[in-house]
Amino acid sequence: MNSTSRLIAALALGAAGAAFAQGNPPTTAPPNPATAAGQQNPAGGPMGTTGVTPQSPQTGSAPSSSAPTAQGSTDTGSSAGTTMAASGDTPAMRRARADRN
Amino acid sequence: MNAVTAAAGTASRTLAVFVSLSLLSLSASTPSPAAVEDPRLLARAIVAAADNRAAPFAVVDKKNARVFVFDAAGRLQGSSPVLLGLARGDDSVPGIGEREMSRIRPDERTTPAGRFKTEPGRNTKGEDIVWIDYDAAVSMHRVRTTDSSEHRLQRLASPSVADNRISYGCINVPAAFYDAYIKPVLGSRRGVVYVLPETVAPHQRFEFLSQPA
Repeated sequence: MNSTSRLIAALALGAAGAAFAQGNPPTTAPPNPATAAGQQNPAGGPMGTTGVTPQSPQTGSAPSSSAPTAQGSTDTGSSAGTTMAASGDTPAMRRARADRN
Repeated sequence: MNAVTAAAGTASRTLAVFVSLSLLSLSASTPSPAAVEDPRLLARAIVAAADNRAAPFAVVDKKNARVFVFDAAGRLQGSSPVLLGLARGDDSVPGIGEREMSRIRPDERTTPAGRFKTEPGRNTKGEDIVWIDYDAAVSMHRVRTTDSSEHRLQRLASPSVADNRISYGCINVPAAFYDAYIKPVLGSRRGVVYVLPETVAPHQRFEFLSQPA
Protein backbone atom coordinates (compact mmCIF):
# COMPACT_ATOMS: atom_id res chain seq x y z
CA MET A 1 0.00 0.00 0.00
CA ASN A 2 2.74 2.39 0.93
CA SER A 3 4.54 1.75 -2.33
CA THR A 4 1.29 2.37 -4.25
CA SER A 5 0.73 5.66 -2.48
CA ARG A 6 4.29 6.75 -3.10
CA LEU A 7 3.96 5.84 -6.78
CA ILE A 8 0.73 7.84 -7.09
CA ALA A 9 2.26 10.79 -5.28
CA ALA A 10 5.29 10.73 -7.57
CA LEU A 11 3.09 10.62 -10.68
CA ALA A 12 0.96 13.46 -9.38
CA LEU A 13 4.04 15.53 -8.65
CA GLY A 14 5.37 14.85 -12.15
CA ALA A 15 2.08 15.82 -13.74
CA ALA A 16 1.97 19.03 -11.73
CA GLY A 17 5.52 19.83 -12.77
CA ALA A 18 4.60 19.34 -16.43
CA ALA A 19 1.67 21.67 -15.98
CA PHE A 20 3.73 24.39 -14.33
CA ALA A 21 6.39 24.17 -17.01
CA GLN A 22 4.02 25.29 -19.76
CA GLY A 23 4.08 29.02 -19.06
CA ASN A 24 5.48 31.54 -21.50
CA PRO A 25 9.27 31.61 -21.37
CA PRO A 26 10.83 34.77 -19.99
CA THR A 27 11.97 37.19 -22.63
CA THR A 28 15.69 37.38 -23.10
CA ALA A 29 15.44 40.61 -25.06
CA PRO A 30 14.48 43.50 -22.77
CA PRO A 31 12.51 46.20 -24.57
CA ASN A 32 15.09 48.77 -23.59
CA PRO A 33 18.57 47.31 -23.11
CA ALA A 34 19.90 50.47 -21.50
CA THR A 35 17.21 50.47 -18.85
CA ALA A 36 17.58 46.77 -18.24
CA ALA A 37 21.28 47.18 -17.64
CA GLY A 38 20.68 50.07 -15.29
CA GLN A 39 22.49 52.42 -17.62
CA GLN A 40 20.38 55.26 -18.75
CA ASN A 41 20.91 58.94 -19.09
CA PRO A 42 18.22 60.54 -16.93
CA ALA A 43 18.14 63.47 -19.31
CA GLY A 44 17.18 61.20 -22.16
CA GLY A 45 20.33 61.76 -24.19
CA PRO A 46 22.93 59.22 -25.20
CA MET A 47 25.26 57.73 -22.59
CA GLY A 48 28.28 59.84 -21.85
CA THR A 49 26.40 63.09 -22.06
CA THR A 50 24.74 63.04 -18.67
CA GLY A 51 24.12 66.54 -17.52
CA VAL A 52 23.64 67.87 -21.01
CA THR A 53 19.97 68.07 -21.62
CA PRO A 54 19.15 67.20 -25.19
CA GLN A 55 16.61 69.99 -25.39
CA SER A 56 18.99 72.70 -24.20
CA PRO A 57 19.80 74.01 -27.67
CA GLN A 58 16.12 74.04 -28.44
CA THR A 59 13.23 75.88 -26.96
CA GLY A 60 9.57 75.41 -26.23
CA SER A 61 8.05 72.00 -26.74
CA ALA A 62 10.91 70.46 -28.71
CA PRO A 63 11.64 67.68 -26.18
CA SER A 64 8.30 66.07 -26.92
CA SER A 65 8.93 65.83 -30.63
CA SER A 66 9.60 62.11 -30.90
CA ALA A 67 8.30 60.31 -27.82
CA PRO A 68 4.60 61.15 -28.15
CA THR A 69 4.58 59.81 -31.69
CA ALA A 70 5.62 56.40 -30.51
CA GLN A 71 3.35 56.45 -27.49
CA GLY A 72 0.39 57.43 -29.54
CA SER A 73 -0.06 54.07 -31.21
CA THR A 74 0.04 51.49 -28.44
CA ASP A 75 1.27 51.25 -24.91
CA THR A 76 3.97 48.82 -25.99
CA GLY A 77 4.73 50.57 -29.22
CA SER A 78 7.16 53.00 -27.70
CA SER A 79 9.29 50.38 -26.02
CA ALA A 80 9.27 48.16 -29.08
CA GLY A 81 10.25 51.07 -31.26
CA THR A 82 13.12 51.89 -28.95
CA THR A 83 14.28 48.30 -29.07
CA MET A 84 14.20 48.10 -32.82
CA ALA A 85 15.94 51.42 -33.29
CA ALA A 86 18.55 50.62 -30.67
CA SER A 87 19.34 47.30 -32.31
CA GLY A 88 19.91 48.86 -35.71
CA ASP A 89 16.71 47.64 -37.33
CA THR A 90 16.12 50.86 -39.18
CA PRO A 91 17.52 49.76 -42.53
CA ALA A 92 19.03 51.73 -45.33
CA MET A 93 16.32 51.69 -47.96
CA ARG A 94 16.99 49.43 -50.92
CA ARG A 95 16.83 50.55 -54.49
CA ALA A 96 13.33 51.44 -55.61
CA ARG A 97 11.84 48.86 -57.91
CA ALA A 98 8.49 47.95 -59.39
CA ASP A 99 6.30 45.75 -57.24
CA ARG A 100 3.65 43.26 -58.27
CA ASN A 101 0.78 45.67 -57.77
CA MET B 1 -8.53 -4.10 3.50
CA ASN B 2 -11.60 -2.11 2.46
CA ALA B 3 -9.94 0.99 3.83
CA VAL B 4 -6.91 0.30 1.68
CA THR B 5 -9.08 -0.10 -1.43
CA ALA B 6 -10.96 3.11 -0.69
CA ALA B 7 -7.73 5.04 -0.18
CA ALA B 8 -6.31 3.74 -3.42
CA GLY B 9 -9.50 4.67 -5.25
CA THR B 10 -9.42 8.21 -3.91
CA ALA B 11 -5.78 8.56 -4.86
CA SER B 12 -6.53 7.28 -8.36
CA ARG B 13 -9.27 9.86 -8.83
CA THR B 14 -6.95 12.59 -7.59
CA LEU B 15 -4.31 11.43 -10.02
CA ALA B 16 -6.83 11.41 -12.87
CA VAL B 17 -7.80 15.00 -12.07
CA PHE B 18 -4.13 16.01 -12.04
CA VAL B 19 -3.48 14.36 -15.37
CA SER B 20 -6.58 15.93 -16.92
CA LEU B 21 -5.56 19.37 -15.69
CA SER B 22 -2.07 18.83 -17.05
CA LEU B 23 -3.40 17.84 -20.45
CA LEU B 24 -5.70 20.85 -20.46
CA SER B 25 -2.74 23.05 -19.64
CA LEU B 26 -0.75 21.54 -22.48
CA SER B 27 -3.54 22.02 -24.99
CA ALA B 28 -4.04 25.63 -23.89
CA SER B 29 -0.42 26.62 -24.42
CA THR B 30 0.26 24.65 -27.58
CA PRO B 31 -2.33 25.30 -30.28
CA SER B 32 -3.12 22.33 -32.47
CA PRO B 33 -1.96 22.42 -36.12
CA ALA B 34 -5.50 23.12 -37.26
CA ALA B 35 -6.00 25.82 -34.65
CA VAL B 36 -3.05 27.93 -35.79
CA GLU B 37 -4.91 28.67 -38.99
CA ASP B 38 -6.70 31.16 -36.77
CA PRO B 39 -4.50 34.27 -36.87
CA ARG B 40 -5.08 35.00 -33.19
CA LEU B 41 -3.91 31.56 -32.14
CA LEU B 42 -0.98 31.77 -34.52
CA ALA B 43 -0.07 35.09 -32.93
CA ARG B 44 -0.15 33.43 -29.53
CA ALA B 45 2.20 30.72 -30.77
CA ILE B 46 4.49 33.32 -32.35
CA VAL B 47 4.86 35.21 -29.08
CA ALA B 48 5.21 32.02 -27.04
CA ALA B 49 8.12 30.99 -29.28
CA ALA B 50 9.54 34.54 -29.20
CA ASP B 51 9.63 34.28 -32.98
CA ASN B 52 8.67 37.94 -33.33
CA ARG B 53 11.80 39.00 -31.41
CA ALA B 54 9.73 41.20 -29.08
CA ALA B 55 8.53 43.32 -31.99
CA PRO B 56 5.08 44.05 -33.39
CA PHE B 57 4.07 41.89 -36.33
CA ALA B 58 1.30 41.17 -38.82
CA VAL B 59 -0.45 38.00 -39.91
CA VAL B 60 -2.08 37.67 -43.32
CA ASP B 61 -4.89 35.15 -43.54
CA LYS B 62 -5.07 34.31 -47.24
CA LYS B 63 -8.09 32.03 -46.94
CA ASN B 64 -10.15 34.83 -45.47
CA ALA B 65 -8.30 37.67 -47.21
CA ARG B 66 -7.57 39.64 -44.04
CA VAL B 67 -4.54 41.12 -42.35
CA PHE B 68 -4.18 41.25 -38.58
CA VAL B 69 -1.73 43.56 -36.83
CA PHE B 70 -0.47 42.61 -33.38
CA ASP B 71 1.66 44.40 -30.86
CA ALA B 72 4.84 42.85 -29.48
CA ALA B 73 2.89 40.93 -26.85
CA GLY B 74 0.51 39.45 -29.40
CA ARG B 75 -2.42 41.70 -28.62
CA LEU B 76 -4.56 42.41 -31.67
CA GLN B 77 -4.33 46.06 -32.70
CA GLY B 78 -6.48 45.95 -35.81
CA SER B 79 -7.55 43.90 -38.79
CA SER B 80 -8.78 44.63 -42.28
CA PRO B 81 -9.76 42.95 -45.53
CA VAL B 82 -6.97 42.84 -48.11
CA LEU B 83 -6.57 42.04 -51.78
CA LEU B 84 -4.23 39.21 -52.69
CA GLY B 85 -2.71 37.54 -55.71
CA LEU B 86 -5.20 36.25 -58.25
CA ALA B 87 -3.87 32.69 -58.32
CA ARG B 88 -4.15 30.16 -55.55
CA GLY B 89 -0.73 29.02 -54.36
CA ASP B 90 1.88 29.61 -51.69
CA ASP B 91 5.05 30.08 -53.71
CA SER B 92 6.41 32.65 -56.12
CA VAL B 93 7.51 31.51 -59.53
CA PRO B 94 11.34 31.71 -59.66
CA GLY B 95 12.51 34.92 -61.27
CA ILE B 96 9.08 36.50 -61.28
CA GLY B 97 10.43 39.61 -59.61
CA GLU B 98 12.43 40.44 -62.69
CA ARG B 99 9.58 40.05 -65.16
CA GLU B 100 7.34 42.75 -66.49
CA MET B 101 3.78 42.60 -65.27
CA SER B 102 2.51 42.02 -68.79
CA ARG B 103 4.54 38.82 -68.96
CA ILE B 104 3.12 37.29 -65.80
CA ARG B 105 0.48 34.68 -66.50
CA PRO B 106 -2.72 34.57 -64.42
CA ASP B 107 -1.71 31.29 -62.78
CA GLU B 108 1.57 32.89 -61.68
CA ARG B 109 -0.09 35.72 -59.77
CA THR B 110 0.37 34.16 -56.35
CA THR B 111 0.94 35.72 -52.95
CA PRO B 112 3.68 33.65 -51.32
CA ALA B 113 3.15 32.24 -47.83
CA GLY B 114 5.56 31.94 -44.95
CA ARG B 115 7.54 34.08 -42.55
CA PHE B 116 8.92 37.20 -44.18
CA LYS B 117 11.36 39.74 -42.82
CA THR B 118 9.90 42.96 -44.10
CA GLU B 119 11.53 46.27 -44.78
CA PRO B 120 10.22 49.69 -45.69
CA GLY B 121 10.87 50.79 -49.22
CA ARG B 122 9.67 52.61 -52.30
CA ASN B 123 8.52 51.46 -55.69
CA THR B 124 9.51 53.08 -58.95
CA LYS B 125 6.62 55.53 -58.67
CA GLY B 126 7.97 56.85 -55.38
CA GLU B 127 5.22 55.32 -53.27
CA ASP B 128 6.19 54.24 -49.77
CA ILE B 129 5.53 50.53 -49.39
CA VAL B 130 6.52 47.59 -47.20
CA TRP B 131 8.55 44.95 -48.96
CA ILE B 132 7.37 41.46 -48.08
CA ASP B 133 9.76 39.77 -50.51
CA TYR B 134 11.97 42.26 -52.30
CA ASP B 135 13.46 39.73 -54.71
CA ALA B 136 10.04 38.50 -55.78
CA ALA B 137 8.75 42.10 -55.87
CA VAL B 138 5.96 41.35 -53.41
CA SER B 139 4.96 44.26 -51.23
CA MET B 140 2.20 45.43 -48.94
CA HIS B 141 0.82 48.78 -50.00
CA ARG B 142 -2.24 50.99 -50.10
CA VAL B 143 -4.90 49.72 -52.48
CA ARG B 144 -4.38 50.97 -56.00
CA THR B 145 -7.15 52.12 -58.26
CA THR B 146 -5.14 52.89 -61.37
CA ASP B 147 -7.01 50.25 -63.38
CA SER B 148 -10.66 51.04 -62.81
CA SER B 149 -11.75 47.85 -64.57
CA GLU B 150 -10.36 45.84 -61.65
CA HIS B 151 -12.79 47.43 -59.17
CA ARG B 152 -10.34 47.04 -56.33
CA LEU B 153 -12.17 49.29 -53.89
CA GLN B 154 -15.43 47.47 -54.52
CA ARG B 155 -13.70 44.15 -54.00
CA LEU B 156 -12.34 45.31 -50.66
CA ALA B 157 -15.74 46.55 -49.60
CA SER B 158 -17.72 43.46 -50.59
CA PRO B 159 -18.38 40.78 -47.97
CA SER B 160 -17.19 38.07 -50.34
CA VAL B 161 -13.69 36.67 -49.98
CA ALA B 162 -13.45 35.17 -53.46
CA ASP B 163 -13.34 38.53 -55.20
CA ASN B 164 -10.40 39.68 -53.10
CA ARG B 165 -8.04 37.79 -55.38
CA ILE B 166 -7.00 40.26 -58.03
CA SER B 167 -3.41 41.45 -57.59
CA TYR B 168 -0.22 40.14 -59.16
CA GLY B 169 0.98 39.00 -55.74
CA CYS B 170 1.10 42.14 -53.67
CA ILE B 171 -1.06 42.64 -50.61
CA ASN B 172 -3.37 45.62 -51.09
CA VAL B 173 -4.57 47.26 -47.88
CA PRO B 174 -7.21 49.99 -47.50
CA ALA B 175 -5.34 53.30 -47.42
CA ALA B 176 -6.72 54.37 -44.05
CA PHE B 177 -5.77 51.07 -42.45
CA TYR B 178 -2.31 51.20 -44.00
CA ASP B 179 -1.65 54.65 -42.59
CA ALA B 180 -3.10 53.84 -39.17
CA TYR B 181 -1.68 50.36 -38.56
CA ILE B 182 0.76 49.11 -41.20
CA LYS B 183 2.93 52.16 -41.64
CA PRO B 184 3.55 52.75 -37.89
CA VAL B 185 4.52 49.11 -37.34
CA LEU B 186 6.28 48.15 -40.56
CA GLY B 187 6.79 51.38 -42.48
CA SER B 188 9.89 52.70 -40.74
CA ARG B 189 11.81 49.65 -39.57
CA ARG B 190 12.38 46.02 -40.32
CA GLY B 191 9.58 43.75 -39.18
CA VAL B 192 8.01 40.37 -39.61
CA VAL B 193 4.90 39.38 -41.52
CA TYR B 194 3.47 35.88 -41.36
CA VAL B 195 1.43 34.87 -44.40
CA LEU B 196 -0.69 31.83 -43.67
CA PRO B 197 -0.55 29.26 -46.48
CA GLU B 198 -3.63 28.09 -48.33
CA THR B 199 -2.35 24.88 -49.92
CA VAL B 200 -0.28 23.36 -47.10
CA ALA B 201 -0.48 23.15 -43.32
CA PRO B 202 0.88 26.14 -41.35
CA HIS B 203 3.60 24.11 -39.64
CA GLN B 204 5.11 23.43 -43.06
CA ARG B 205 5.82 27.15 -43.43
CA PHE B 206 6.50 28.18 -39.85
CA GLU B 207 9.39 26.36 -38.21
CA PHE B 208 8.55 27.53 -34.72
CA LEU B 209 5.33 25.49 -34.83
CA SER B 210 7.36 22.31 -35.14
CA GLN B 211 9.68 23.09 -32.26
CA PRO B 212 8.98 21.53 -28.87
CA ALA B 213 7.36 23.86 -26.36
